[in-house]
Amino acid sequence: MFKAVLNIPPAEPKDIRWFYDRYAAMLLGYINGIVKDKQQSEDQLVKILTSFTQDFVAAEKSNQHIWLELRQYAQNRLNSAVLSDRQLIQKQSVSEPGLASLDDLQKIVFKAVYYHGKSISQLAISLNYGEEEIRNQLKLAIDKMRRARGN
Amino acid sequence: MESGLMETYVMGIATEEEIQQVLSLTKTHPEFKNALDQLEFDMETLAQSMSIDPPAGTLEKIEQEINQIQRRNQALQAEPEPAFRYDNREQEYAKQERYIEVESESNQMRVNKAWKWAFIAVFVLGKIFLATAIYFYLENRQAQEQINELKIELKQKLR
Repeated sequence: MFKAVLNIPPAEPKDIRWFYDRYAAMLLGYINGIVKDKQQSEDQLVKILTSFTQDFVAAEKSNQHIWLELRQYAQNRLNSAVLSDRQLIQKQSVSEPGLASLDDLQKIVFKAVYYHGKSISQLAISLNYGEEEIRNQLKLAIDKMRRARGN
Repeated sequence: MESGLMETYVMGIATEEEIQQVLSLTKTHPEFKNALDQLEFDMETLAQSMSIDPPAGTLEKIEQEINQIQRRNQALQAEPEPAFRYDNREQEYAKQERYIEVESESNQMRVNKAWKWAFIAVFVLGKIFLATAIYFYLENRQAQEQINELKIELKQKLR
């Protein structure tokens, strides 16, 4: 059932045009969520997509989970500069329409994890909450967004 | 499924233990695998909803970059490996030939640290000379004014 829903036929060629058509806009939206600068985001898109496709084709990986891999690849490339928790929270204060249904804590938790790859334990320390609470807030945030999108 | 394990896995922040747990559950529980696939799909649609269309010409830029990388790789592969009979100097030369010298000559100049004091002394002396010159210029101007005044005074007395 999900193969059809996911729309990822296994025999699809993984050339640059395929990657570009499928992921460039999503990746640019994601990069912009981290970088918060249009020109820099576009420059990073070119760099990341170039290097990712080279690595990906070389590794002959399967089609599944490409977006998750690409997102994490971009996250690792962009978050090499370590931000302090205060800087992180300041950066997160920029409003984003996709996250409108979340409360403040859920937004902070979701964005810290989604854009900056912060772990549950790191967030628990920096936000002064228990790990279970942070895990719960992350789940609630994702559930809310899925429901808001009718999923 | 309610523990938040799937969410941490999909968000890429699961610990090694959690990853093993997820992999094990996907094998033993098909409903868990279905829920995980659905969550991954939903995360992809969420990213689609936040997507931004790249400006025109972006694909061409990427293609250009890839072509450059491929040409560089092909050039490296085409270059024959130096034979064992080469001595070290020849091998070094062959190695240098493979790379393009982007900037072979520096436009910087190296100066011995001992010159620092000489430069400081020249700078301080320069300042002293400048101050002295200004002082004597002002003095001279004042003296000239006084001479002019005295001349005028003398002329008036002579009349």
